[in-house]
Amino acid sequence: MNLHCKWILYTLTAFDADDVFGIIKESVEGTMGGNIFQQNRVDQWTSNVVELCLSQLSKLGKPFKYIVTCIIMQRNGAGLQTASSCFWDDTTDGSCTFKWENESMHCIVTVFGLAI
Amino acid sequence: MPVILKIILTVSFNTDEASVTVKECIEGIIGGIDYNQNKVNQWTASIVEHSLTQLVKQGKPFKFIVNCAIMQKSGAGLHTANSCYWDTATDGSCTVRWENRTMYCVVSVFAVAVTC
Repeated sequence: MNLHCKWILYTLTAFDADDVFGIIKESVEGTMGGNIFQQNRVDQWTSNVVELCLSQLSKLGKPFKYIVTCIIMQRNGAGLQTASSCFWDDTTDGSCTFKWENESMHCIVTVFGLAI
Repeated sequence: MPVILKIILTVSFNTDEASVTVKECIEGIIGGIDYNQNKVNQWTASIVEHSLTQLVKQGKPFKFIVNCAIMQKSGAGLHTANSCYWDTATDGSCTVRWENRTMYCVVSVFAVAVTC
């Protein structure tokens, strides 16, 4: 296999954050756009966002396992800090984080993709 | 004709052990301390790094993702969800929720089996 072919194979199987960013953005805006924080609905929203993201990601058909996390927090001045640390294969695995907010809430969605 | 018997050993993720490991890390870093905006950055980073180190030391064939969120207690609502697309026989996750008088800490560990 010549070098050119090897490079194409590498780019096809490494985690593509740009593709994933678009998927997360649509899922979040579609689920939460125009809504105000409501305690009795937030459960449904987080589930919808993660399920929607996951189904779009699996449709990409790439050889990856995915983990999608979603945090929704009411805006009232409280401080929130999140961090992640990963032990994986740097050349193929990756993550993508999307932050969204409106006047009443914050939403942070992270997708981790691990090559099989 | 000689018969060749192939034995494949798969290790599945032990959530109890991981929970204990993570809880000890959290207590060690923020046990007995009040929420401090200047230090929270440092705390989340320490918790994820320390937890990851302890998990990797166990020497099991997994890739790990450790996620930590610290939120100040001020009456705001916080909701988190995660969804995973993986091999349910070998992969797993565990979430540890911890709190004291001034803050909540939620740490999630995701373990994805490595096939060698």
